[in-house]
Amino acid sequence: MKTFLKILLALSLVVTAGAKEIKLLNVSYDPTRELYQEYNAAFAKYWKAKTGDDVAVAQSHGGSGKQAFSVINGLEADVVTLALAYDIDAISAKANLLPADWQKRLPDNSTPYTSTIVFLVRKGNPKHIKDWDDVVKPGVIVVTPNPKTSGGARWAYLAAYAYALEKYGHDDSKAHDFVKRLYQNVPVLDSGARGSTTTFVERGIGDVLLAWENEAHLALKEFGADKFEIITPSLSILAEPPVAVVDKIAKRHGTLTVAQAYLNYLYSDEGQEIAARNFYRPRNETIAAKYAANFSQLKLVTLDQEFGSWAKAQATHFADGGVFDRIYQP
Amino acid sequence: MNQLILTVIAGSLFVFPALATDDTATNSVEAAEIEALQKQVQELGQKVQRLEQQRESEQQAVTDTNQEQVHELDQKVRILARQHELDKEDAAAAAKTRPQLKLDSSGFTLSSADTNFAISLHGLVQLDSRTFFADHNLVNSGFLLRRARPIITGTVFHDFDFNFTPDFGGSVVQIQDAYLNYRNRPELQLEAGKFKSPVGLEQLQSDPYLLLNERSLVTDLVPNRDLGVELHGDLFGGAASYAAGIFDGVSDYNGTTVNTDSDNDKAFAGRIFLQPWKTTDVNALKGLGFGVGGSYESDRNGAAGLTPGYTTDGQQKFFTYAAAVVANGQHWRISPQGYYYYGPLGILGEYVISDQDVRNGAAQADLRNKAWEVSANWVLTGEDASYAGVTPRHSFDPRTGGWGAWQVVGRYEELNVDKSAFPTFASSTASASSAHAWSAGLNWYLNRNIRLNASFSHTVFAGYTGAAPAVPAQAENVLFTRIQLAF
Repeated sequence: MKTFLKILLALSLVVTAGAKEIKLLNVSYDPTRELYQEYNAAFAKYWKAKTGDDVAVAQSHGGSGKQAFSVINGLEADVVTLALAYDIDAISAKANLLPADWQKRLPDNSTPYTSTIVFLVRKGNPKHIKDWDDVVKPGVIVVTPNPKTSGGARWAYLAAYAYALEKYGHDDSKAHDFVKRLYQNVPVLDSGARGSTTTFVERGIGDVLLAWENEAHLALKEFGADKFEIITPSLSILAEPPVAVVDKIAKRHGTLTVAQAYLNYLYSDEGQEIAARNFYRPRNETIAAKYAANFSQLKLVTLDQEFGSWAKAQATHFADGGVFDRIYQP
Repeated sequence: MNQLILTVIAGSLFVFPALATDDTATNSVEAAEIEALQKQVQELGQKVQRLEQQRESEQQAVTDTNQEQVHELDQKVRILARQHELDKEDAAAAAKTRPQLKLDSSGFTLSSADTNFAISLHGLVQLDSRTFFADHNLVNSGFLLRRARPIITGTVFHDFDFNFTPDFGGSVVQIQDAYLNYRNRPELQLEAGKFKSPVGLEQLQSDPYLLLNERSLVTDLVPNRDLGVELHGDLFGGAASYAAGIFDGVSDYNGTTVNTDSDNDKAFAGRIFLQPWKTTDVNALKGLGFGVGGSYESDRNGAAGLTPGYTTDGQQKFFTYAAAVVANGQHWRISPQGYYYYGPLGILGEYVISDQDVRNGAAQADLRNKAWEVSANWVLTGEDASYAGVTPRHSFDPRTGGWGAWQVVGRYEELNVDKSAFPTFASSTASASSAHAWSAGLNWYLNRNIRLNASFSHTVFAGYTGAAPAVPAQAENVLFTRIQLAF
């Protein structure tokens, strides 16, 4: 028995000595902190059981555009999990860190979960906000981040614009006017979604927050359903935040295999459950049905439907001199 | 108003019953009057009620308006506070990427926020005077611009340092240093370009920190700047340092350096220097350093491989090889060296052997020239002496009673040419076979950047048999002064 225990101890030491400690950096957009805190722990457990290796995932969060800029300028991300495909396209085009066809490498255009934009208002909805028309009324203070830096802000802008297109029969000039009135009600532009949540919830500014759906639910959970409520507009945009391995950096770090597994696991049942529990709409239909009560029912339009592509939307609305620059005067 | 009405009503309650006791004739008239009055009172009551309601709703409206205004003001204040908060965050983020500009006693430096890129401008200007005594007017006394160097250093991509130093002093404009140093780890660095060969201790000391105007006779035997590649590093926190390189190879000290190689021969040079107590708490020994430097080359470079001449402290040649003598093979040098600094005391010593094969026609020889020196200094004002100069505790400023730092210095030095050099390879009628010198001086460091010094040097020669006037024919006596600006 003693001999057996000694052998077992020796073996475990050998195994432990052979186990690697792997570090990954996940550069993500602003509101995904809680999601990846839970997900990273689950993935580490899964990977340890599968390979015996320890994985430590460090997170970086910020406005999606700013995060992409950071990676382009040298932030050594093994994976990026950003708010919109355009930001990852920029990393590919400007820094050549991953191939241009990166989005085809994972299912559902590399978006393991989706989200949308809803309204978070103060309890009792004192300004009676029910839809986008109410948000653009004079005297309503709107909180939303800066579309130049935040992916969520771009989705919110496009959701408002899409509503106006539907309302005014795809008349762009009326849609311009609509979003102009919206941004006239915006007194402060944070750089990212989490900053806007801070502005609305903690600093007590504004009547309505144009929020990522998960941010709105998190606010209710953290600050109390007795202080805020979620208002679902009649129409919003299907936001598809994608994920990608940053090939050149992962190869340099020797983490390519783990990085690929890390993103693949988002599509697993456990990954999808974690997403749903954190109020991201899972792609897995069975799990989506299980958590259906977490999510509002509303008409969702896609970016491709209304705007053609991210490249077109970026060029038209968010590039220097685009629609946003023309309508928003700080 | 309300009280008046109530009084009227109350009064009428008493009046009306009194009037009721009149006779029947007047009853119907009175009843009508009473009814009318009651109706009036009722109307007045309703009016009062309406007025009260109106007043309440006006007050409520005022309250609502005030609350709305307060809410608007509150929102405006919160928005301003949040904007200020975001502006501060943006400023902090911008500060992390903003280039840094620094101008102080160590020069001008512009660097990126992460310091991965930097460029610095330093400078060294030395205005000297040399006054020769009892030299039979052989040598001109006068002022000279000894060194005038803009020193450009910098760093690119964090690990690559560069240095470019031209010199406009003296009579020849030349490039003193031009090199690149890769510094990924302090223990292992790679330097390439033109820089000081790693042999002589005094030669390696930076020019602004020299104790006296000129380096000693020892430096006549060691290489000056050379072109090559060198591996070097500091080990154990600086307690040990090493350097080993391959160079074009240069003759014994040559004040004018070259930027090309004139032959296929290469020189190997290296040095190890130890300061074993540098990182310990043994204060008395922290400043003790010792080591050895050396070089080796096989030099068949003709006259270019020989020294242009050994010079005195007054920069006068006292020895040259005969015109037909050429380098003829091995040339090695070895230099045990050391220093000791403890508080205001500094001592530096060095011994050099320069052993070179020479040829004059059919005659060949292996000549071994030697030199040694010891110098000492004491900082009278108590600051620490060091290999890297003296930093005054109180800069010179009569308004605040600061007088800078004062230092006395002394040196003894000797250079002995191999006796075998005479007469085949050198003429005793043109050259001395040895020189011995002592020097004493006073340095005044006004601040970290400006220094004044004055010193006297006396050199005597031996082995000269030629006629006067000539440099080795009599002792050299020189009074030096210097005004130095270094930053």
